[in-house]
Amino acid sequence: MVPGSITERASAPAMLDAEPAADLLIRLENIHVSYELADGSRKKVLDGIDLDIRRGEFVSVIGRTGCGKSTLLRLVLGAETPTEGRVLADGREVVRPDRDRGYVPQKYSLFPDKSVIDNITFGPEVEQFSLLTRFTPGFYGRRREFRAEAMRQLRRMGLHESDANKYPDQLSGGMQQRVAIAQALVMKPKILLMDEAFSALDPGTRAGMQKLIRQVWRETHTTVLFVTHNIAEAIHLGTRIVVLAKDGADSCGSKVALDLTVPSDLDEEFAKIAGRVEAAAGHSRLDEDE
Amino acid sequence: MSLLSISVKPNRFTAWVLSWFLFAAGISLYFYTAQKRHQENPDDRVVPTLAQLGAGLYQAAMNPDADEEPASDAAGQSALERFRSGMLWKDTVASARRFFYGLALLFPAVLLGLHMGLFPYFGTFFLRFILFFDKIIALSVLPILFIAFGIDELSKVMLIVIGVTPTIILDTFNLTKSVPPEQIVKGFTLGARDFDVAYRVVLKRIWPRVLNSIRLNLKPLMLFLFAGEMIASTDGLAYRIALLRRHMGMNIIIPYVLWVALLLFLVDLTMRLLNKRLHPWFREA
Amino acid sequence: MKLRPTLLFSVVAALCLPLAAQKPAFTVGWSVYVGWNPYYYMAKSGIMQKWADKYGITIKVQRFDYAPSLEAFVAKNIEACAMTNMEALDMPAAAGIDTTAIIVGDYSNGNDAVLTRNGVTFKNLPGKKLLLVEKTVSQYLFERGMAMNGMESQIKRVHLVNTSDSDIAAAFIADTSHEAVVTWKPLVSQILKTPGVTNIFNSSQIPGEILDLTVVRTDVLNRADGSGQKFAKALTGAWYETMGLMSAKGADKVLAAIAEGSQDSLQSYKEQLSTTHMLFTPQAALQLATSPEMKQKMTLVKTFCFNHGLLGESTKSMDEVAIRYPDGTVEGKADRIRLRFEKAYMQAASDGKL
Repeated sequence: MVPGSITERASAPAMLDAEPAADLLIRLENIHVSYELADGSRKKVLDGIDLDIRRGEFVSVIGRTGCGKSTLLRLVLGAETPTEGRVLADGREVVRPDRDRGYVPQKYSLFPDKSVIDNITFGPEVEQFSLLTRFTPGFYGRRREFRAEAMRQLRRMGLHESDANKYPDQLSGGMQQRVAIAQALVMKPKILLMDEAFSALDPGTRAGMQKLIRQVWRETHTTVLFVTHNIAEAIHLGTRIVVLAKDGADSCGSKVALDLTVPSDLDEEFAKIAGRVEAAAGHSRLDEDE
Repeated sequence: MSLLSISVKPNRFTAWVLSWFLFAAGISLYFYTAQKRHQENPDDRVVPTLAQLGAGLYQAAMNPDADEEPASDAAGQSALERFRSGMLWKDTVASARRFFYGLALLFPAVLLGLHMGLFPYFGTFFLRFILFFDKIIALSVLPILFIAFGIDELSKVMLIVIGVTPTIILDTFNLTKSVPPEQIVKGFTLGARDFDVAYRVVLKRIWPRVLNSIRLNLKPLMLFLFAGEMIASTDGLAYRIALLRRHMGMNIIIPYVLWVALLLFLVDLTMRLLNKRLHPWFREA
Repeated sequence: MKLRPTLLFSVVAALCLPLAAQKPAFTVGWSVYVGWNPYYYMAKSGIMQKWADKYGITIKVQRFDYAPSLEAFVAKNIEACAMTNMEALDMPAAAGIDTTAIIVGDYSNGNDAVLTRNGVTFKNLPGKKLLLVEKTVSQYLFERGMAMNGMESQIKRVHLVNTSDSDIAAAFIADTSHEAVVTWKPLVSQILKTPGVTNIFNSSQIPGEILDLTVVRTDVLNRADGSGQKFAKALTGAWYETMGLMSAKGADKVLAAIAEGSQDSLQSYKEQLSTTHMLFTPQAALQLATSPEMKQKMTLVKTFCFNHGLLGESTKSMDEVAIRYPDGTVEGKADRIRLRFEKAYMQAASDGKL
């Protein structure tokens, strides 16, 4: 028997009111997203979503392909606007993407025309130096600082200094995503939005990335919204799992089918069981995925 | 394995010989024809011999235009000075000036295409009209061109601009549109403002493709330049060819044509090398 | 069986074809110009066919743009061509193709003109820009105009802007910063409609210097089987018959038909004819062709061509391209005769012996 209990509860606004308001980072209110098809009919993607994300949570959003989980992320990101309802970040309505919400997509996550280090320093440089001030002497002094900070991030992501001047197409998929995460985190965003960020990686690399993001989350206390279609990944990484599913026919929009908290001691319990299994099987180290 | 199959790998020497073969065949055929024609008619001007071509080239390069006033110190000039006052050089300078003005005016076109692709209101305002304007054949509306721009330098450069800029604008527009939207969103999430995204994310990234697009349009640019010069001009490479055509001066026309090909090749090569140097990260040729 | 009649027919037809093709075939090229438009009528009305049949040959009448017609003649793709005396010197003659002018059709008597705006004259032309098609009769007219106004030494100080004939009218009318243009009718008539433009000089002031000819390659004329001569005779016969129709009473119908060939109106064509001295009769043509004045004028033209390198860049002197006149005199080196004026055919027409 697995100690601890998995509490199943639908998101209940009444419960949330009990929590301090400052803890509430993202709120989706009565979100409906639909669009018109070529033949004039309307296709519903999201049908009445209410969701709150608190600071420090690692929320895994999971569902079948086409269930609208990416749409949900894009709403929080600000890349899409709902047909009905509002998205609020820190009490203010989200209208466009900005530096408060970091983004790691599945593909095209890095600028191909810039080296690894330039990709990471891009955010700080662009934020503080506009097109005009970019060429003032003050920039070059600050640039050294930016690059030093970028190197620190690189190393924290498990990359080597020799990778700094490489271009994205010279890196493997896993390394590219590491740089992408570093690039997003260097801006210290309030929430990190990851859209199937590991789905294009091979299983071995994927496992490594999962370890990395969990570690980074623990260290930086960044709020994370993590979209995936892999159940194991969702449960392993998240403190909370939100499942989106369609209520009926394909043409309906998705609703939140399940919203549960993952027990915090899941990892320990898993490790305990794994240890007992290993010991029982008589190997010093079971084959681990990288 | 058959020579014509896809899976063969020619060795370097064979490849080198093959690649020069058509040149050798063409040149041999030309000189054979020239020799035959000259046997029949020593004064033939349509297919000049190598000696005549050489003489024509020397004359064009070293002697000034017959219709110009001769320089007062013509006798005492060095070879370089004679070359610089010669017909070929003066025509080259005149045409080159127009060519590079036209080329320079392509860069605002690139910026327009970029903005059209990124800023929706900008795009809807311009796109339909430019799609239409692209289909107007500039040469067929010459009288309007003359009224608007005269028939001097301005109209020649404008003919180039009207002929080539729509292509560049639309090409840049398409390149901009094909940038993955994740990249643009990424830019915003890293604190970039609209113009930062336009210039530091998108333009930086599409720039090598834009340069390639301009390279591909060098020939149409030259064509429009030639059209302008042949219609009304006082100097220039195409002007000279048009004039010489009237009395079949092929012994000068052929060197001019080869000279223009060489110049175009050099400009294209320079742009290609520049592209490579500026954008080492760009993998497609 | 059923196949046999078809087979028989094909065999007979195949045998007949070579017979039909054995008739010598010739082509005469022409381009749109008042003095050469009669060729359109000669082909359309069947006059050319009639004369060709009379001599047992085939004659094709082919329309070109002017420059391509010259190029086709030099390339030996056509046997005869309508051209001016200047082009006859520059193109075939200077390219080594021995050419004979068998018909002197007319001379420009006002068709080519120098037009200016703002009251510009030859005196104040140096330093200004002049629109024209360079290295053609237009430039010749300009230089003769300068010479006749005492400005010969200043010729090179006028800035020539080479403008293609298809755009020269639009260019001059639209761009008022250009004050002078040299061109020919009907472009001249179009330009004169613009206010402030005057005709300061035209070819009527240099009569007989811009001749319109029908030329044939000399080697064609000298063909051993005599077919070349038949060609020349047929051409001449057809030409003067048409000339007769054009100058007779009730010629308007014929003139209208000719004008149709260049999409012109009868009125416009007649207007152009009024500034062309047509040599309607073989007698008139002969008189001009054998006159001493013609030799002088040809020399003027040849000098112009030589000075502008039109006789070939490598031609060292004027004598390298020699002209033989109907009376046998040769201007230039006797072994380098390239252009001949032949009166025999015009004579035959005059004597009614065609």
